[in-house]
Amino acid sequence: MTTKIRVTLVGAVLAAAVAVTWLAVGWSRSDDPAAAAALPDPATVARTDLPGLAPATGEPRLPGLAEAAPRPGTVGVVPGPFDDRFTLGRLQLQNGAVSGRLHVTSDVSDVLELQVLAGFYDARGELLGTGRATYHLDEAAAHAEHEGTPSELESFRVVAPSRYAGRVASAAVGVPVLVNE
Amino acid sequence: MRRPAPSTTALLALAVASTVLGSLGVASATDARDEAKPGKNDIKNVIYLLGDGMGRTHVTAARERYYGADGELVMESLPAVGQVSTYAVQPGSGQPGAADFAPNYVTDSASAATAWSSGVKTYNAALGVDAKGKVVPTIMEYAKKAGLRTGNVSTAEITDATPAGQMSHALLRGCQGPTYSEAACQNTEITGSALPTTDVRVTPIADQIARNGTADVILGGGLSRFDAADEAALKKQGYAVLGSPASQAVATRSDLAAASGRKVFGLFNKGNLTIEKYKRENAASVQAQEPSVAEMTKKAIQLLSTGNKKGFYLQVEGALIDKRSHANDAAQTLEEMKAFDEAVRVARDFAKKDGHTLVIVTADHECAGFNIIEQGSYTNAEAATPPGNVDSGNTANNSTPTRGSGAKDPVRSSGIINGAGSADPKNFAPATFRTPDDPASVTDGSPDASLWLSYLSGNHTGADVPVFAYGPGSSRLADSIDNTDLFGIVGRALHLTS
Repeated sequence: MTTKIRVTLVGAVLAAAVAVTWLAVGWSRSDDPAAAAALPDPATVARTDLPGLAPATGEPRLPGLAEAAPRPGTVGVVPGPFDDRFTLGRLQLQNGAVSGRLHVTSDVSDVLELQVLAGFYDARGELLGTGRATYHLDEAAAHAEHEGTPSELESFRVVAPSRYAGRVASAAVGVPVLVNE
Repeated sequence: MRRPAPSTTALLALAVASTVLGSLGVASATDARDEAKPGKNDIKNVIYLLGDGMGRTHVTAARERYYGADGELVMESLPAVGQVSTYAVQPGSGQPGAADFAPNYVTDSASAATAWSSGVKTYNAALGVDAKGKVVPTIMEYAKKAGLRTGNVSTAEITDATPAGQMSHALLRGCQGPTYSEAACQNTEITGSALPTTDVRVTPIADQIARNGTADVILGGGLSRFDAADEAALKKQGYAVLGSPASQAVATRSDLAAASGRKVFGLFNKGNLTIEKYKRENAASVQAQEPSVAEMTKKAIQLLSTGNKKGFYLQVEGALIDKRSHANDAAQTLEEMKAFDEAVRVARDFAKKDGHTLVIVTADHECAGFNIIEQGSYTNAEAATPPGNVDSGNTANNSTPTRGSGAKDPVRSSGIINGAGSADPKNFAPATFRTPDDPASVTDGSPDASLWLSYLSGNHTGADVPVFAYGPGSSRLADSIDNTDLFGIVGRALHLTS
């Protein structure tokens, strides 16, 4: 065999080896430095810009409170985004505070977040102001609350701001925040 | 006679041939394990299916319920099987190995979602942030950045922890929207003081999903979380919006069937999607118009794969397994398991045909200590006197008794507790179900039904969960892994992370 033929044969076999080896382990191509160089830069991956979003300026509002005008001595209910997920019961206005019970009907799991927003009205049905009852489950410290089956029933009480004392004749409530586990 | 020495050329050729054949051998062994087409091992797509709350017993019980003891679910037919540890960490904890590492043995869905989405341990309730509150990128964001198409399907609200873990960053998973509230969104235990509302970490998740474009195809529930401004933002990015967040008109199965294009947003219920059992028993109801998780999966795959050369990453969640397990409702839990398994079938069938798709089926955590108990038996919680270790004198059983006689031990438990119905043993189950192994005369709920199921609690447990996989690279899942490892496995499979 001449030197030229030997070199050609070895070259061909080496080329075949490289090709077959590349095919055999091809799926792990991220080990290839060229592929690694094309990996996304982790610092630029997370999507934290939200174009066009106006940042929140405060706690949630319910537009229905402005027009509710419940009759004196009554507690009205205004629409919110989650009205198909709960029932309200035992609503009452007493000594300038509105109270009641909210029964979550959509799910059987822990209530994580709940806010009941209340509007207070004078005898003419004019909205005096609002108050809120907020429930937040601190999951990191919730061991004691996790005994037994999850709670579906939450009681609430919202006291009218003191500056309206003696003027509150009626109230209305709605639920702008509700999250279940 | 002296044999001639082999020439240098021949030796070199032999060595090279040996290397070549060795490589072929490795490749062919890998192929056999992964059931991939020979020579086509490159992974283009990953379909990651997640049964929320699906422990090992959920799988076994569903198999026995629908296919009998000798049958198997579709997920059980996948060739690679492993198990996944799921623990979370305390708020402020370092990562495993750090001096300030502080584990929490029972995770919630948010911490678990962050583990596989971003590869870090975090505290319960955190999404897309580590336990110190730092934003961490998700694998879906990596996929999007690399030009892959992305999809997120769930039977829960799409702002719920599992889908949100891929396409949002929030200090508290309760910050779902449609509006911000301080209690739901701020976590001053982590940040020290309240963050400005311009910070993504306190921005309602619905607002993030509607604007960050992380997922091209978004299918699920939770329309109540989105409003008119969100609909406008979605349309501005080119999404075909099924139904309408502005008018709160839910999308329907027909809308889904007709959907096309690269970006589709469809929510089929104002809250979580309806359980399959209700839809089956109320075929004329509005809820019965909701697509199943299998139908959503099929459509998502079609939308993501059509005209796509770069590949896709799709996450699919069967969420109601967990939600019905919280309720200790075995009948609905089992039907949700079956529905989820049908989505696995859709994914596996696509992967078989495609040859470049890795299918991973796993869970975020076990829910409720679901268990199969012997026919006619009952749980400790039901017993007037649970068995105690009072035989400490026996060398085969000589640990210190932890529980005396009687039903209650004030140190370890408060005895028989299960909410308001704690005095009624019936509230503890067992629930009984007939299986294909039973005679035709046996009915669900009868003592003769062979599948007896019970629950330990109404909440998550710390048990490891199963993982099943199919396709090229699936052998990497045939192992005992941690949920954070899933981030690296998917990232390397799609060439997104090192």
